[in-house]
Amino acid sequence: MYAQAFFVAVFGLAAIGFGVVVFRTSSMVRSALALLFSQTAVGCMFLAMQTEFLGVLQIMMMATEMSIMAIFMVMFMMDPGGLGGMDMSHQKRFSIGAGVSAAVVAIAVALLSDWGPAAKQVVDAEAQTRALGMELLGRSMMIFETAGITILTAMIAATAVAIPVQNLASKRAKEASE
Amino acid sequence: MSFDSAINITGARQKRPSVLQKLVSRALARNLGCLIVPGPEIALAHGLDVTAAGMRTSTTPRDASVLMIVGELSEKMGDAVAVLYAQMPRPRAILIVGGQTPSTLPGADISAGLSQKGLTEAVVRLQRAFADGAFVASPEAFDADVLHAKIEYVCPMHPEIVEDEPGSCPKCGMDLVAREAGESTPDHDHEHQHHGHKHDHEHEHEHCHDQDHKGHHEHHHGHDHEHSNEHQQEHAHENAAAEYTCPMHPEIVRDEPGSCPKCGMDLVAREDAEDEGASEEGSGHGHNHQHSESDHHSEHEHSGHDHGEHDHGGHKHGGHDHGASGFMSMIEVTKDLPRSADGLQMDWLEVPFGPVFPGLPGGLKLTLTLDGDGVTEGQATSLAGMTIEVEEGEESEEIDVETFIDHLATAMPLAPVSYRLLACLAIEQAAGLNDDQATTQARNGGLERERIASHLGWLAQLGRQLGFAWLTQRASTLQLQVREANRYRLAELEPALRTLGTRLGRTPLLKSRLKDIGELSSEFSDLRGPLARAASEGGDAWARLWQRLAEITASLDLIKASSEPALPSLRDIGDLSGTGEVTVDTPRGEARLSLKLERGKVKSYKLDTPCSHHIDLVPKLVEGQELGDALLAVGSLDLSPWEVIS
Amino acid sequence: MTVASVLLALLGSTWLLAVIEGWMTTGRLSPAAPLFSGLAHLGRESILPRSPDRVFFEAAPVLLLVVGVLGMAVLPLAPDLIIADLGTGALFINAALAYVLVAVIMAGWGPDGAYAMIGGWRFLGQLIAYSMLIVMPITAVAMRAESLLNTAIVGSQAGLWNIVYQPLGFVLFFIAAMALAFRAPFDLPTAEGELGGGVDAEYTGVRLAVLRLARLTLVVTLASATTVFYLGGWHGPLLPPWAWSLVKTLAVAVSMLLVGHYLPRIREADLMRWCWILGIPLALVNIIVVGLLILVVP
Repeated sequence: MYAQAFFVAVFGLAAIGFGVVVFRTSSMVRSALALLFSQTAVGCMFLAMQTEFLGVLQIMMMATEMSIMAIFMVMFMMDPGGLGGMDMSHQKRFSIGAGVSAAVVAIAVALLSDWGPAAKQVVDAEAQTRALGMELLGRSMMIFETAGITILTAMIAATAVAIPVQNLASKRAKEASE
Repeated sequence: MSFDSAINITGARQKRPSVLQKLVSRALARNLGCLIVPGPEIALAHGLDVTAAGMRTSTTPRDASVLMIVGELSEKMGDAVAVLYAQMPRPRAILIVGGQTPSTLPGADISAGLSQKGLTEAVVRLQRAFADGAFVASPEAFDADVLHAKIEYVCPMHPEIVEDEPGSCPKCGMDLVAREAGESTPDHDHEHQHHGHKHDHEHEHEHCHDQDHKGHHEHHHGHDHEHSNEHQQEHAHENAAAEYTCPMHPEIVRDEPGSCPKCGMDLVAREDAEDEGASEEGSGHGHNHQHSESDHHSEHEHSGHDHGEHDHGGHKHGGHDHGASGFMSMIEVTKDLPRSADGLQMDWLEVPFGPVFPGLPGGLKLTLTLDGDGVTEGQATSLAGMTIEVEEGEESEEIDVETFIDHLATAMPLAPVSYRLLACLAIEQAAGLNDDQATTQARNGGLERERIASHLGWLAQLGRQLGFAWLTQRASTLQLQVREANRYRLAELEPALRTLGTRLGRTPLLKSRLKDIGELSSEFSDLRGPLARAASEGGDAWARLWQRLAEITASLDLIKASSEPALPSLRDIGDLSGTGEVTVDTPRGEARLSLKLERGKVKSYKLDTPCSHHIDLVPKLVEGQELGDALLAVGSLDLSPWEVIS
Repeated sequence: MTVASVLLALLGSTWLLAVIEGWMTTGRLSPAAPLFSGLAHLGRESILPRSPDRVFFEAAPVLLLVVGVLGMAVLPLAPDLIIADLGTGALFINAALAYVLVAVIMAGWGPDGAYAMIGGWRFLGQLIAYSMLIVMPITAVAMRAESLLNTAIVGSQAGLWNIVYQPLGFVLFFIAAMALAFRAPFDLPTAEGELGGGVDAEYTGVRLAVLRLARLTLVVTLASATTVFYLGGWHGPLLPPWAWSLVKTLAVAVSMLLVGHYLPRIREADLMRWCWILGIPLALVNIIVVGLLILVVP
């Protein structure tokens, strides 16, 4: 119990630490990978809290997602190496306000909610995974399937939009109409 | 051979010799990786088998402990070699095979003659040297002029500000950052490096050296300032009511120049702001990147034109939009950057490949401007090519014929027989000698044998480029066997040579890798040799592969039909005078030599080689290709940098 | 004890693989070569590039090694010879392997060199090409076992190995595993002829030794995963279970090396195209076929 609480705290602090690094570095790649390790630490928190599937899933998904973010940062940001020493922050007052109020709300929710009694015993990972599967393909199937298809459609659409016009004839027609 | 006292290798590592070091030294001696300069294909062409001699072939200086120099090096190559040597981790040693130590390097540890026997003995001595002297308390420092660079300081925002000393920018007050002088000159020595940038070593002296360079990579605004200046002025002219905006904060828009209330930077005229933004977007990971002057010029002209004509209103509009939201749109910023073939704008890097690059012939330097891993433009130069100092009409020294022939043959290490033959034929024609059947047949045999060996060398190089280990091993083994084989031996090797083609035809992935790469149709007039003959078959790398394989079998048949291959030697010509012009079909295409003979001496000559023409095809072949495809296209030309005449 | 034996098996396999690799490149079979090579690496100086991203540069080889070892930790060599038989073992393998990508990106970005950087981003560019072909065949394997426990997956193959039950999945997984280990012919991030070593190019001395060890370990881990998922893990006559696991793992690893030896490097665009157009649909077909088999054949 104490060991568990200890590890949750350690990974929680690591997550916050990496989160701070995200904003303390001007290298885009460092920033993206710091965010990745921050999310990995969150995944480890899940593991420490005995929700194995969620933890492993979080750790797996974040690796690829944040790496992809890193390459987009490099492609589209000015000075991705952060060597020019330029200040890329903006709207400071607004973001400080937003950050502080979000933190206050989160802390308030954490303190004021009735979390119920702590579970004495959790079922093992195998059973959890089974239960999760039953949930995903039972009661919540429609929601997840719809969400999945929507995301897939959005991805394909985004890719299609990004492809430059290949057909010269249609391009000319378009230019003419403008 | 025995040593009375332990000798140390030139590139020993600083560590007090101890029992542990002794053990490590033994391991080092058993694990020698050698970086072959100019390249492994030269070693093969000289009949040197490094693996059989007991060393690994390393592809990069990082992985090598022995720098093996084969044959004579040109001055430019000497500079490049010094950089390579500096990049090798200590303990390191220099092995010279059949040549002299370049002046840029410390003395050779071991020198050997240009033969397999010499090499094998040298490796044994080298192993002993490593076991004895890999670690010393105070190693000698290595330094060469080529490793030094002048440092200048530039403003990251205003590339036109270049100072000799650190300080702050007079325009925007930002700290100036250091860079190596000459970074924006494409032909500076420092781009001859293998890795495009140098590295510090653990050692004290090199640390000092490194201090000078601190921050070199922090420079990354490669945009040509003069052009943007011009540009700005042009615009001020065109558009009197220019707006001024902060390069970092587009929401700041003023009617007159001044500084940004947010960051204190100087405001710039609107059009200029767009370009500045663009140049920053282009700033990379800290690499030296700039576009070539001419390209840049046209690009600027182009965008200037656009803005002036009709695009301007759009810009203003966009600017206001962004002013409202406070965000900078990347579309806005990248809008005027040149686009590559795939339509994405990305950071452009100018990256040197060679002159000692595992995928390219040694001595060839390829400078590619990379956009992601697509090539936007590129050019090839030869660092090893011969310069003809004899000019026609000028009073020059007469060369003895034998010296001339040897000179020409050793200058072309990848096809010595062909050029020896070329020289012999030209001299004999000038002397008015008639062909005699037997000599011609023997000479042609030698030429055809060299063609087979040369094509095998190319196949090995293709294998290296494609990471196709089997092909490299097989082709190199065959090349070593064919090199000096007689007719009988060649007949023995024939099945193996023919199987090689069959095997390649059956290799999966090979066709998809080579098909449609480096297309050269017969419209190109400069094509010679295998390139010209493959042009009608599709003219891509795949066609060239099959053309060369077909030539190997054709040459085998020719040798079978003629007499024993022999090295061409000059027949007695006496003290005759005259002129001769002959053409020989070397493995890389027809080479032409015309010379003037006076009293049995070569007065003047003019040489025309296929590779001098082929090297000019490179920019066209690489443009718009993916990096791997571009390198493969260059490789498929089978360029010999030695045969490029400037 | 279990931890020690699994690590010993991993180290032993890595050593054997290094010997075979040396044999293939130099033609000499020398059992001591990896040892000398490692010792020689320790003797060479470990050069730091001029302006590296030091954190990434140092961390990348170590991360790669950790990934390989962690992956091995959830793979069973015998019914009770497994470091951690996680309830989500098959998913955990995926998670661990995802960090190969992170390590390669770090190794590419860290040294501040153009070749390395292109190599690193190339690997990311091919992400969809290989990662989907790792995940989707494992899905079908887990479907048959009705569990994510790796021991249960091996158990489900007691009668019939998955290589027979779902050959399509095996082929896809094997190819993707080779691409993930970035070995020839999929060595796009290191491509010596194109990038002069790419992400490996700037490493020397101790760091290079760790990197090489990590890359071989990764091959062993992937071969072991192939064994567990498709080749019936420890099942086999006569020999003890752990021996079967090792023999199969080594066979898969050596076949990976051999394939690379006899093939030219694949074109980047081709790998991407074939994996998207052919690989992913085939992986879906595999899932459907396995699903039908499970429903129809009890």
